Amino acid sequence: MNKLLTEFSDEELIKEYQDHNTPEAYDILVKRYKDPLMNFVYRFVGDRDICTDVVQDTMIKFYLNKDSYRSFAKFSTWIYTIAGNLAKNELKRRRRRVIFSIDNSDDERSPQIEDKMFLAPDKAADGEMRNEIIQKALLKVKPVYREVVILRDIQDLSYEEISEITGLAIGTVKSRINRGRAQLQKLLKHIYRE
Amino acid sequence: MKKIYNEEENKFSELLKDLKDLPKIKAPDNFEYNLLTRIQNKNFGKKMKEKKHFSWAKFLAPSAVVATTIILFFIFFPSSQENNNQLLQQTKLQNNQSAVNNSTSAKNELKDQQSVPSNTKLQSNSSSLLGVNNQTAKPSSRSPLYDSRAIKLDDYISGSNKNQSNTNRGNIVNNGEEPSQYDGFIVSEKPDKKTLERYRAVVDSIKKAQLKADSLKKVQK
Repeated sequence: MNKLLTEFSDEELIKEYQDHNTPEAYDILVKRYKDPLMNFVYRFVGDRDICTDVVQDTMIKFYLNKDSYRSFAKFSTWIYTIAGNLAKNELKRRRRRVIFSIDNSDDERSPQIEDKMFLAPDKAADGEMRNEIIQKALLKVKPVYREVVILRDIQDLSYEEISEITGLAIGTVKSRINRGRAQLQKLLKHIYRE
Repeated sequence: MKKIYNEEENKFSELLKDLKDLPKIKAPDNFEYNLLTRIQNKNFGKKMKEKKHFSWAKFLAPSAVVATTIILFFIFFPSSQENNNQLLQQTKLQNNQSAVNNSTSAKNELKDQQSVPSNTKLQSNSSSLLGVNNQTAKPSSRSPLYDSRAIKLDDYISGSNKNQSNTNRGNIVNNGEEPSQYDGFIVSEKPDKKTLERYRAVVDSIKKAQLKADSLKKVQK
């Protein structure tokens, strides 16, 4: 039975879980989506602990609201929508906290890109450092653009899927991706010399 | 359209490559265990641990509420206001004074009515009534509290009062028709001797006529 379930598609698994409340179906879906969602939320929020909590909450929402999923949509887009909304809420909450706290000494949370003056070229070329710089630059991009750029260029989702997740028209998705990329490129201009 | 987006993708090719090569973040090992524990314990509330930041903003709202209540208490607390309000005390004094004046003036007018003929009686009645009404409605109009600001109308008319300022004259002109709000406005009337003698003669003749009538009635009886 278990072997059979692992061969099921996402939509078949959620159907199984909805109809028969099979816990194994839920477990398999959690195993399939925990890492992609972690990657998506981490790139969006930039904090590993918060990211873990957001993904946990996403899975809890999925557990509690399994019946709100409709079979005409893809399971991936549904779960990404939940995770995206929770991540956005978390961002808003954090922003509010930053605004209201006068003595905000939490430097780790405020993304900063190192000035290129202090970054030696050999260091910039270093892969790990480069990734870190890109992540920090990504967090500087406006959230509306950041979300679609992550979904498209990091999560490798199609424009149609992104359109479904964000609830935007495909044209809007494409233009937002473009603007997001342009912003990111501008922020990383010391890495990408045109 | 597709060409435009392909061109754009070429423009960002290096960036896109780097974004794709970013390391994939994986869930912690205890992710599923923690999730199942939460589900079993039905711990569906917010797990997000918010670090407590000290901020003055938290104290702003309660301190503002306290300050406004204190201010409102001092503004609207009735006893404190009554004790301190000099204007209210003055109006009370004026009311008392006007009440005393009313009673004395009413007595005087009654006396006058006995000695004045019927036509003038009516006028004086109505005037006294009006006077009482005016005094009750506007008690400060005949109050002698502020003598320094009062105007003697007779002196003003005769031109003997040279100390009055122009503003006071203006007040007289403005308030000629209605009884003045001005609290020091006193009208002092000095009756003419000739008219008094005339009225006395009339009263005497009426009295004589009445005596004659009484004597005739007695004779008839």
